[in-house]
Amino acid sequence: MQADRRRVNAPPGGTTPPVFATPSNTPIARPVRSRQPDEHRKIFLRTGFVPSASGSAYYEIPPETTSQSKTLLIPSSSSLKITCTVHGPRPLPRNAAFSPNLLLSTHVKFAPFATRSRKGYVRDSSERDLGMHLESALRGVVIGERWPKSGCEVVITVLEGEEDGWWGDAQGAEKSGGWGMMGVLAGCITVASAALMDAGIDCVDMVSGGVAALASDERGNGTRIVLDPSPSEHDIKAACVVGYLQSRDEITEMWMKGNAGVQTEALIDEAVKAAVMTRSVLGEAVKESVELKANHTDRNVKEKGSANDVTMTG
Amino acid sequence: MSGPIPLSLPGQILGPTSANAIGSGTHIHGTQLYSSVAGTLHSTPSTTKTVKQPTVSVQRPNGAGTLLPEVGTVVLGRITRTNPRQANLSILALGAQGEHVCRDGQGFPAIIRQQDIRATEIDKVVVAQSFRVGDIVRAVVISLGDERSYYLSTAKNELGVVMAVSEAGNAMFPVSWKEFQDGVSGAREARKVAKPV
Repeated sequence: MQADRRRVNAPPGGTTPPVFATPSNTPIARPVRSRQPDEHRKIFLRTGFVPSASGSAYYEIPPETTSQSKTLLIPSSSSLKITCTVHGPRPLPRNAAFSPNLLLSTHVKFAPFATRSRKGYVRDSSERDLGMHLESALRGVVIGERWPKSGCEVVITVLEGEEDGWWGDAQGAEKSGGWGMMGVLAGCITVASAALMDAGIDCVDMVSGGVAALASDERGNGTRIVLDPSPSEHDIKAACVVGYLQSRDEITEMWMKGNAGVQTEALIDEAVKAAVMTRSVLGEAVKESVELKANHTDRNVKEKGSANDVTMTG
Repeated sequence: MSGPIPLSLPGQILGPTSANAIGSGTHIHGTQLYSSVAGTLHSTPSTTKTVKQPTVSVQRPNGAGTLLPEVGTVVLGRITRTNPRQANLSILALGAQGEHVCRDGQGFPAIIRQQDIRATEIDKVVVAQSFRVGDIVRAVVISLGDERSYYLSTAKNELGVVMAVSEAGNAMFPVSWKEFQDGVSGAREARKVAKPV
């Protein structure tokens, strides 16, 4: 393959990452889910952190600190960090045809260091796929006919993505069932929704993303449905992501992977439940940013950073 | 909910359509009026006899109220090119004081036609004696225009060039309704000057 001549490329043979030796008696155990099956991890969400964009948001699921993560340098389970910027409504490019509606376009890109397997600088098929899913989730919520002859670009950068499995599991890292993508998509939907609100683009509702999975039960030999699965903690059989509008009770986007069998509908219901939890955080974050801006224009308050940070449970 | 003005988020029900008239930033789904932007909630009582309900609107907290130029919006723009029939400009900000800055990108393309430059003696207007490339102009949107440009007008006293530099490159100040003066050399240049507000 031709090397990209516009960038500083890595050596062609690849590099070996440093391996931090651990004492041989250190047990490397797979992380276990410490929260309830219907409990979501905590979410941090904040809007308006990119001043040059018309709307922006940052979404994070902080890594959980377990007793094991203190003995090892490598965190046992992955976390999620996503940034989103919205540019628009802005004029269409010169060569574009007239459009009576808003032209929505989405770009999802993983940072090269986002996952254990490195990503290239050019968007690959999985990133384009995520972009398509995100676009269909947002298309159902934006009121496009209020924005004639203008376009809107939603750009997402995943700074840290969910892994597809547990890194200690030799095959787990390799086999990549794509389970990490599901969590990333749910986060992308929520963060894009927050950024659209920040940009002030008309929407019928706030769309929020939720994910649920059918995983084998660690205690028994059956399966159970868990909300917001961390792929390193579960042996996932099937997973489902939804983009859900709570006030209308509508689903704009659904993505299911694996075979859930007779539990398909239960799985969708649980994913919707996760989306409802995420929405409470989304609502608070958007409300916070509106209050901040309203005060800013009313009293011409200069100190934007003086507002309290919000961390909320899902 | 600490502020005195009630806030509203998209998807929030604002009341039945029988009791509320639709305003900006809202939409109707079924028989209910819903909010469609995140902002402050306003209710203005009806002024006409045909519509009895108060108009409910949600305003974005950015100051200007709109994100796109609409008919009647006062905008600020920079002249990009002129020819004998019209002046082209790009809209940089919405609102008479530039309340909403059109961030990211080049601005919305717009045109001021020769007959829209001033209100009187419109057949004697010379575009080159009204605008120069680089001038900052306050104008009002008169049409959403064709697929490319918005149509603007400066046919009012308070509309026209608000900021200009002379051919020597110095900042100028307005001295009459049709002239700017160079602050350094004292040379005068013809413009369609906006009345200071």
